Amino acid sequence: MNKKILLSIGILAVLLLAAGFAPAGQETLTIAARGGSHVDAMNAVKGEFEAANNVTIEILGLEAADLKQKIGLDSLNSTGELDLIMIDDPWMPEFAESGVMANLTEMGYVEDEDFAAASRAIGKDPYGEGDVYALPFSGNVMLFFYNKALFDSYGFDVPTDWATVLSYAEKVKADGKIGYVIRGQQGNPIVSDYLPILWSYGGNVFDQEMNVIINSAEAKSALELYMKLLENGANFEKNDIVASVSDGKAAMSLGWPSWYISGETAAAAYAPIPGKVDQTAETNGSGMIGNWMMAVTANSGKKELALQFLEFVTSAESQKIEASFGGVPTRASVLTDAELTAKYPYFPTLLEATNNSVVRPRTPLWSNVETALGTELSSAISGVKTVDQALADAVAAIEAVMEE
Amino acid sequence: MSLPTIVVLAILTIFPLGYTIYYSFTNFNMLKPKAIKFIGLGNFEKILADPYFHQALGNTLKFMVLAVIIETVLGLLTALLINSLESGQKLLRTLVLLPVVLPPVTVALIWRIMLSNNYGIINKMLEAFGAAPVNWLNDVRTAFYCILVIDVWQYMPFAFLLIYASLQAVPKSQYEAAKIDGASALQQLFFITIPNIMGGIILVVLLRSIDSIRLFDKVNILTRGGPANTTATITQYIYNYGVGNYRIGYSSAGAIIMTLIVLLISSLYVSRAFKIE
Repeated sequence: MNKKILLSIGILAVLLLAAGFAPAGQETLTIAARGGSHVDAMNAVKGEFEAANNVTIEILGLEAADLKQKIGLDSLNSTGELDLIMIDDPWMPEFAESGVMANLTEMGYVEDEDFAAASRAIGKDPYGEGDVYALPFSGNVMLFFYNKALFDSYGFDVPTDWATVLSYAEKVKADGKIGYVIRGQQGNPIVSDYLPILWSYGGNVFDQEMNVIINSAEAKSALELYMKLLENGANFEKNDIVASVSDGKAAMSLGWPSWYISGETAAAAYAPIPGKVDQTAETNGSGMIGNWMMAVTANSGKKELALQFLEFVTSAESQKIEASFGGVPTRASVLTDAELTAKYPYFPTLLEATNNSVVRPRTPLWSNVETALGTELSSAISGVKTVDQALADAVAAIEAVMEE
Repeated sequence: MSLPTIVVLAILTIFPLGYTIYYSFTNFNMLKPKAIKFIGLGNFEKILADPYFHQALGNTLKFMVLAVIIETVLGLLTALLINSLESGQKLLRTLVLLPVVLPPVTVALIWRIMLSNNYGIINKMLEAFGAAPVNWLNDVRTAFYCILVIDVWQYMPFAFLLIYASLQAVPKSQYEAAKIDGASALQQLFFITIPNIMGGIILVVLLRSIDSIRLFDKVNILTRGGPANTTATITQYIYNYGVGNYRIGYSSAGAIIMTLIVLLISSLYVSRAFKIE
């Protein structure tokens, strides 16, 4: 009896193990991806590549922090477990500097100008001008969202400058509603929410020589405006922002498209983020770009095959299919495709905003800079520090980070 | 016979601890393993001079003291109450213990929904009573105490469990003798119950102190250390400025500092416990 049980367990174990491996002679490409719709999009197209190349594609869908850790740990191996990796665009300088990604240009990859120029630039090292290390897999750029019914009831047009946004917020607030919702939680949320306003004012965190200039006059004015918007609105976390703007409790916010737009429907109206201080000011780029890139790992044992899959999964044909599974295209030809834009009307806005987008400062230490800046911005809007003090402390903290 | 224990201990504790100590004296970055360099006390100096670390340390110690006192007192009162019941002890014991079996991440997410500005049940209740909604997790006056309340809600049952177990072991004969001598309920509590369960109380204080110093999940999910760093903790500091950016040397130094603090605090309790015994 015992022997039979042991034999059964043994056979079952062998079958389970066999199921976990690719058929003999078949190669496997392993992709570390950001979980969710990105994985669904890849799963939707990978079958064709698997059949054509006699390969199995394994996709590990991970939460962003886990993905970053996994990439770092795997980079220590001489031959990596991962062949392809998804990369959030602020991680690019860190990974490029440390040689985690394979140089695609050296592998014979020829740049494809159909990708939106701003997205393409992120994949190069040095930024915008060097060799290609990663291709834009998923498009993302922050937009301005507003409640259309509320706007119509006031007769508001879509604002193109921040003075108008503030005046709208004041009018809505006067009627007891929330004029503008900021995402002022410490760390990445407040930094992502403040930077588009800073850029509209012509300011930045660093100048061309990477000197910290976050205490500039533009930065102070931008933060003062941000705090006035808060006075005429509220400070909510993401889910509350989306809910309040969608149901008309609040009038306006900034946000990433995926928060409000799901497939063919949008919970709020959208437009590119205003890029100027007031009607008379010059327009600056203001939409924060946040593409998910994909790269071949430098320690992959199957670089050529991995590059083939990378080109396949980011091709126009694949992106058209992926769009139906939550994928967000990065190619101009797909974002302007008549059939797709009829189904996903926000694609042209996304392309327009991407073309006018701004990339977060290119430094391998960005996550520490963001943490320091986020702490000081939070101190300012909480009233713990004055605007001047918070920005002066931000300069000191960021300079300490950059000393490394 | 002790060899397997030593081997397991060496693999699971001594080896990682040794590595952490070693890395804490280096600039080791996981993405640049070949650039590893011995930098002496450089990481420790940087951490100890960092005002953000000072804030995180202050918050952590304040949190530890408040959480341990409140959880222990509430755990003691709940244990005394349930232990005194003639019936229904089993049911109440099970109900009280429910929060402690939930993972901290789940607890944080549940409370985030309840504390939401827009649709949270707590603000809805306030509105029903005519009060204005409170931005619980984004207000410097409330964020820290929200985290504290959530932690107390989750871990008071742990304190209850250990103290309740100690109460079960108190000899009934002592109470009977006290009653014959005419001792009041309060006298029985302070001269029989408390001295008998002091070991359990000290264990609760020790374990909760160690655990509350490591507070991370709730802060990371609910406030990310804000607003204005008022909820930042040591572990969150280590994560933000070290682990999250592959700075293993820096994180290791932070971990060593935290371990020393835990050792210092626990040694005070342990020496006190030995004195009592």
